[in-house]
Amino acid sequence: MARDTVKAGVLKADGNKRFQNGDFVGAESLYSKAIIADDTNPSLYTNRAMARLKLSLWDSVIADCQSCLKLNGESMKAHYYLAQAYLELRAFDDAVTHASRAREICALTNDKSLAQVTTLVLRCKRDRWEDAEKKRKRAHKELEEDVLRTMRREKADSLAALDDSTATDGDRRQVAEEWDAKMEQLGRVFEAARSDEDKRREVPEWAIDDITFAFMVDPVITVSGQSYERASIMEHLRRQPTDPLTREPLRPSDLRPNLALRKACEEFLDQNGWAVDW
Amino acid sequence: MSLGTKRLGKELAKISKSLPPGITLVKADDLQEWLLDIQVLDQNPIYAGETYRLKFRFGKQYPIEPPEVVFTKQENRPIPMHPHIYSNGIICLDLLGSSGWSPVQNVESVCMSIQSMLTGNTKNHRPEGDADFVSTNKARPKDIEFYYHDNEV
Repeated sequence: MARDTVKAGVLKADGNKRFQNGDFVGAESLYSKAIIADDTNPSLYTNRAMARLKLSLWDSVIADCQSCLKLNGESMKAHYYLAQAYLELRAFDDAVTHASRAREICALTNDKSLAQVTTLVLRCKRDRWEDAEKKRKRAHKELEEDVLRTMRREKADSLAALDDSTATDGDRRQVAEEWDAKMEQLGRVFEAARSDEDKRREVPEWAIDDITFAFMVDPVITVSGQSYERASIMEHLRRQPTDPLTREPLRPSDLRPNLALRKACEEFLDQNGWAVDW
Repeated sequence: MSLGTKRLGKELAKISKSLPPGITLVKADDLQEWLLDIQVLDQNPIYAGETYRLKFRFGKQYPIEPPEVVFTKQENRPIPMHPHIYSNGIICLDLLGSSGWSPVQNVESVCMSIQSMLTGNTKNHRPEGDADFVSTNKARPKDIEFYYHDNEV
């Protein structure tokens, strides 16, 4: 196990400078050299993951974050970068899991990135829902086409059967019209189901944070009974330790998680991922 | 994306559709500066028949930090006479100061507060020291230390 912390520290500092100047290739290579010098420092892996995120090297980001998590399972950054890489790779469940874990760590450690990470959780959930929706709609469309194809075949078969009999032109027209009416009816049923989905798009007030107007992920309740997103009320309390509604003194330790509301928000969002962009 | 972008977008969507009587949205081309007109609806003789223009400016930290709100003067849009409103349009209202602001306030509620501040006023004069203040003040409105001792107005 390599452990030259001094050399690694110098390389890391140089890498940070390159990163700040936008030279992500240079930064990535310096972080790699730092890891060769000291492969026991978890932050070297997350720094390289951050550079690799900029370079769109998603698989390498995942590898770095996993190396970091082996050394420190509670690394907020590792979970945060992992979520972003998984999101790019369209591995939505993994993205949601790691973004949520990063957010929990932020909340526990009073990390200033809480708002940013909360936004990522919402983005992951929205993208996961959109993906499921797209698949569901495609399946819906395919079903409609399958049924229509079968009906068209049935219609042709019925007409062919009439050819061998003593049926008149009038009989033939009647059979054709019956099938056409059925197919039109089917189209209307599918269409009605589609427009129904768009009609239901209204976000309930109880799910909205009164400070950012965003959908809530981790609502916390104040002494006066009002709930806010944890990230926004914390941001406000850092500036001014008062209840936004009553202006009574309010400390972060007075906040309590609102578990029932949190559950309701989660359930609503799972069914209505569009609400993130409302 | 700053904290306020999403929130201002939603506020704009809402006030573009409807606002309380006497408040009109004039201009909101971006999420930095909006103009709104307000009128006093009852027959307060100080303000009867007049329309006043408010200018809102939003910083990156809105709504954690208050917006900057001033009256702006132009043809047909005077600065309303009030013991808490200076002749350069600066409004002395605790709600708009850094310590009186609350992030649950919004553009609509600020307009309504200013509207009711005018409605209830009976004193047809400027704040004490108006001429001095207007000629010497260089601070941004929300950084000015107003004295809110005059609670009867």
